[in-house]
Amino acid sequence: MNSPQVPPSLRELLSDVFEISPEEVTPELSTTTLDNWDSFRHLQAVLAIEGEYGVQFDPQRVPELTTVALLQAELEKKGVSL
Amino acid sequence: MQADSKRNELRQCIKDALANRDASTAVQLARDLLTASSKASDVLYCANCFASEAETLVKQIGLKRLRTYLVRSVTLEPVLPYLSTEAVLSGFVLDLQAGGYGSYVSELLQPESELARFQPDLVLIALDLEEVAGRLPALCGEGTGAGVEAEIQEAAARMQQLLKSFRERSSARLLLHGLVIPDITPSGEVGDANLPQSLMNAVLRLNQRLAEVCRATPDCVFFDVDRLAARHGRARWCDRRMFLASRLPLAAEFFPAYARGLVRSFATLFRAPRKVLCTDLDNTLWGGILGEDGADGIMTGSAFPGNCFLEYQRYLKQLSQRGILLAVVSKNNPADVQEAFQTRAADLALSLDDFVALRIGWGEKADALRELSQELSLGLDSFVFVDDNPVECEAIRTQLPEVAVVEAPAAEPWRLVELLSERPFFDATQITDDDVNRLQEYKAQAQRVDLARSAGSREEFLASMEIVCTFQSALQAPLPRAVQLLAKTNQFNLTTRRRSAAEVEQFLAAPGGQAVVVRVRDRFGDAGVVGLALASNRGDACFIDSLLLSCRVIGRGVETALLACIAEQAVRTGAKRLVGEFIATKKNTPCATFYPDHGFVRCAAPEAAATDAMFYEFDLTAATLSSPEWITMEGTEQHELSASTALIA
Repeated sequence: MNSPQVPPSLRELLSDVFEISPEEVTPELSTTTLDNWDSFRHLQAVLAIEGEYGVQFDPQRVPELTTVALLQAELEKKGVSL
Repeated sequence: MQADSKRNELRQCIKDALANRDASTAVQLARDLLTASSKASDVLYCANCFASEAETLVKQIGLKRLRTYLVRSVTLEPVLPYLSTEAVLSGFVLDLQAGGYGSYVSELLQPESELARFQPDLVLIALDLEEVAGRLPALCGEGTGAGVEAEIQEAAARMQQLLKSFRERSSARLLLHGLVIPDITPSGEVGDANLPQSLMNAVLRLNQRLAEVCRATPDCVFFDVDRLAARHGRARWCDRRMFLASRLPLAAEFFPAYARGLVRSFATLFRAPRKVLCTDLDNTLWGGILGEDGADGIMTGSAFPGNCFLEYQRYLKQLSQRGILLAVVSKNNPADVQEAFQTRAADLALSLDDFVALRIGWGEKADALRELSQELSLGLDSFVFVDDNPVECEAIRTQLPEVAVVEAPAAEPWRLVELLSERPFFDATQITDDDVNRLQEYKAQAQRVDLARSAGSREEFLASMEIVCTFQSALQAPLPRAVQLLAKTNQFNLTTRRRSAAEVEQFLAAPGGQAVVVRVRDRFGDAGVVGLALASNRGDACFIDSLLLSCRVIGRGVETALLACIAEQAVRTGAKRLVGEFIATKKNTPCATFYPDHGFVRCAAPEAAATDAMFYEFDLTAATLSSPEWITMEGTEQHELSASTALIA
């Protein structure tokens, strides 16, 4: 199934970080469903997102952002228009 | 949006090139992509592409594969894709493995550690202040800082011991990270600057000590991270939030700069620096066009914009002073250039003497570089070419891909020095006397070739070289040099007898004994002691036991002069015949016909001679052996080599 809910820029970025195709980046994708999504990739993803959108996450929130949907929601909460 | 479509196009092209097994195009496209985009996702994309095609990169374009182990006390995982991508762009494929946090001592020293089993070619050591000298911050804050110096020394000694022990068991190349100097400290910025025991000053000194430790460890380079931090801004270098939360020692925006710096540092362990810089003149070494603006019109000197070019000239001058050879490759009239260097000498930091060679004319620059490469006996991969003309630059890139090309920004001349210094061509971790002296020797060689080209005949050429041979007793000259010649000379060595210093001395004590060395200099330089002959009298004959000449000076008549010197001395000691001996080896064919060429005739071997030796004799009463006219002889009168023994004889 396509994943229209994940904005293209975030989808492409995460596909590069996790080494998967953009189609595989769904809102439900999570640290538990994707083997590649380990703690270092998580940090890599957070850093890449911060750089791409010019935001900073609260380090205490970072470990909780375990799905694509949660990452997206956190970005939107920071006022990023995706 | 346009930028994005360009990015996506490049990304697709990289993938296609790799799919087509066209590694060099893929690397070039990756370079283009990463020059245009600093996005993390593009770096990760390149890293992923290269990782899956590592074998192609190694086999097709000869990248050097390095098993690389990271020993660390900080988080560097997010940087690793940057590191591997940057390495590919610089000619290396890294097989990277990172060790655990804080286990660096056992990893480096235990024979069964992960690191030891990995069998790395390269070990990167990235430790922070806490690991290297954890007590330092507290000691710096304590009273007058009495314990600071001792802790610095101890920390350096610990590191030295660690690297030394590692080196005893492993030949892996080492890169040690320097420390980033902390600039947020309790003493504040005024205290940091003024108190010798401030943490800032203490870490500064510790870094210097660590660099010394690296110098003392074979195949080890010091990676000065603080230099990078200072250059990019210490205030932003480390993101405290990420350091405290994840032990990430630098902010993500500096990953590319860090990776570049790290690769540039370790590359010196695997690659020799380039040796020659060929510079254009117009709009590169000076502003303007000499042929149009005239010597008075070109821009150079202390006023802007001439000072941009003066800065470049000074940079080149310094490169030349540490042994990088400079050459001019320019389309101009040679006479105009001579005039410009003469009349504008006060405004130029370089004179024509600073260049090892001048290629000024209207020929192809690629041909000029090929010629220079031959003349200097240096591969084109040691060449750097600087020119403001994009067409010339492109011609060199396509025709001579080994040559590194720097395009001088004619419209922004102030950027040239920075562009040059950004490239790692001349990076060296040590400079030896040989490097520095090489300049004179190459310069002399290039001038000899120049002269040979312009001279009409061989005699004319040799005469214009103004060769002077000075003959001395082997005892007056440094005896070790004579013995070194005996031991090393293969090509022009008639008997290849490896005589010792004691044996050389015995020749001087024998009847009619001679042990002559010859020093050669010409108008271009002094080649030093390059030849030697040993001879002694038996009966009415003088026997030449050894005669040899360094291959650097063969073909200039020095060998004839040396023979003439021996003959003259033999006559003086009463010999009637001069007997030469030739023992063929695999390497000495260049001198096989030396004696016949000088009018000697074959004769019977004396008793007890080696069976493979051939003997030739020259009747000293019927003819004289004379030195070539183009050679000036010195010291023949004074070299009363064996005046005392001659009297006895």
